[in-house]
Amino acid sequence: MAKAILNDTTKCIGCRACQVACKSWHNLPGEKTSFSETWSNPRYLDADNFNRLIFREIVSPEGQVSWHFVSRRCMHCLTPACASACPVGALKKMPNGPVAYNDDICIGCRYCMMACPFQIPKFEWGKAVPYIKKCTFCVERLEAGLEPACTSTCPTGGLLFGEREELIREARRRIAKGNGRYYPEIYGEKIGGGTSILYLTALSFEQLGLNRQGFRTDLGDYPHGLYGREWMSKVPWVALTVGGLSAGLYFVNKRRAEVAAQERKEDKP
Amino acid sequence: MSTGTEYRLTPGRIILLVLMAAGILASLYRLLMGLGATTNLSDAYPWGLWISFDVLTGVALAGGGFTISAAIYVFNIKKWEPLLRPAKLSAFVGYLIFVAGLFFDLGQPWRIWHPMIMWNPESVLFEVSWCVMLYTTVLAIDVFIMALERWRAEFWVSFFRNIYVFLIVAGIILSTLHQSSLGALFLLLPEKMSDLWATGAIGPLFFVSAIIGGMSMVALESILTASAYGREAKMEALTGLAKGLGVTLLVYFAMKVTDLYARNATVWSLDWPHILFYVEIFGTVALPALLLFFPEIHHSRKGILWCAGISAFGVLLNRFNVSLTSYGGYRDFWYFPSAVEIIVTVGLVAMAILIFDFGMNYLPVHPERAPAGEAHAIVR
Repeated sequence: MAKAILNDTTKCIGCRACQVACKSWHNLPGEKTSFSETWSNPRYLDADNFNRLIFREIVSPEGQVSWHFVSRRCMHCLTPACASACPVGALKKMPNGPVAYNDDICIGCRYCMMACPFQIPKFEWGKAVPYIKKCTFCVERLEAGLEPACTSTCPTGGLLFGEREELIREARRRIAKGNGRYYPEIYGEKIGGGTSILYLTALSFEQLGLNRQGFRTDLGDYPHGLYGREWMSKVPWVALTVGGLSAGLYFVNKRRAEVAAQERKEDKP
Repeated sequence: MSTGTEYRLTPGRIILLVLMAAGILASLYRLLMGLGATTNLSDAYPWGLWISFDVLTGVALAGGGFTISAAIYVFNIKKWEPLLRPAKLSAFVGYLIFVAGLFFDLGQPWRIWHPMIMWNPESVLFEVSWCVMLYTTVLAIDVFIMALERWRAEFWVSFFRNIYVFLIVAGIILSTLHQSSLGALFLLLPEKMSDLWATGAIGPLFFVSAIIGGMSMVALESILTASAYGREAKMEALTGLAKGLGVTLLVYFAMKVTDLYARNATVWSLDWPHILFYVEIFGTVALPALLLFFPEIHHSRKGILWCAGISAFGVLLNRFNVSLTSYGGYRDFWYFPSAVEIIVTVGLVAMAILIFDFGMNYLPVHPERAPAGEAHAIVR
């Protein structure tokens, strides 16, 4: 029922076909890119780039050089912080996996951008009437019974589309059979309450140096969006308590003042 | 202007009008060109000056309305009564500015009403927008009552006097909720904030510091308007307020320390966040708390002025620290507001002062100064 994508980064050859497929499916404009020390192009995710292949060159303590390619995009959290943040409910977790965005009601407050632990929602800064942009999980393709553009184009099986439960089982199987080929943890299985994009990597995200660049490892398993929900569940009680106390004390004070005034009157003559 | 003080175009007012006009032009430019073209906001810093100053600081400093009315009606501190109406007027002006600031900050400003009918009850920002809408209405009614008194609409004044308790209680509930919830907005992003401010207790901390902001702004306004309009400062009420401010600062300091201790946060260090934190906690919380303890200070106009100024600045610094300086989503990016952002903000502040000044002149803000015959119609 709930779909997911497993990115087995050990299978990725860094061809960026997923980036191209994404751009063409979503009709996103191409742009002039330039070489940089990060090897990745484009340099950042933005309103015109929903996924991006990160290139990492890692030198082991023994001097061995290895290359790692990680596909970064919206994680489609199981309990998304963005959906908890949005004041109008423009972001919603769909039962079949995607975190979908409704630009008909978005007010452009950008709280989702602040709240997302993976820093995914991007804004159309170049437009006078800007909306939020991010990976859609090709929600319209899923509805038509297709798989997302990126996974359908991946030539090596680095991006696998399927049921989340099955992909997790497959990932566990690969770790068990991999003989140290994989870092023994599925990123996305539990982090931030779990996500619909899952990662198998050869090294941990700290070792890849990506834990400060979108793949945080210090988020814990508790979805941060729930902090907002917990707060909101207390609000009615706070309102009742504060209201009751203020109204009560108001009338006590009023009564006291009346009594005092009456006593003064009685004392006078 | 038929009665009351004559409203003349003094040089000060002309400067404010010019600043306001510049702000209006800059905001029109922003509406036409879009956020990206006119602000320095980016994907790395989605929220900037307008949220930190116009929204977070503005609302906290406008907390004087509910603070003073709670003090008078709930905690029975009748001595503060002369401060109530200016506090309400300034709170109303503050919220107007906040709504205007937010309007320009939204990507789709014309959809600002959406939270009214498109609900997301699990969103803190949804609750904030509702509370702010309702509380601004309460404040508008409060100010409207003053106008009714001036227009001698006796029937309506007594009508509102009868439902006045609802306005007071609603004002206190709504303020408690949204002042704390503005802090709770940041409950969702502890991973992007410095440990010094990312805390589960940020809601209560915001609430108490909004009381500090409100009290210090009421003190500042009271002293500054007294000298601007050549009136006597209401020293008795002000001294009481200053003592109250001192106690609140002390409570806030204790809450901060308890929170940091309970979370085992790294307090002693010498990087940017820590330096800002020391300025905030020692310079703008502990220092005025200590100073206000001395009778020489809480009985002196100048002493109160300085302490209130420092405390208000402290609230501002806190809001910037929480929402901007401590927000380290991308450490390799830098944000400083653009000219348009600054001009719009300055224009809004100028507009706030102008509206407040107009209200002080036009409305019966000082009922105790009203001619004898008018006093009976006054809602307390």
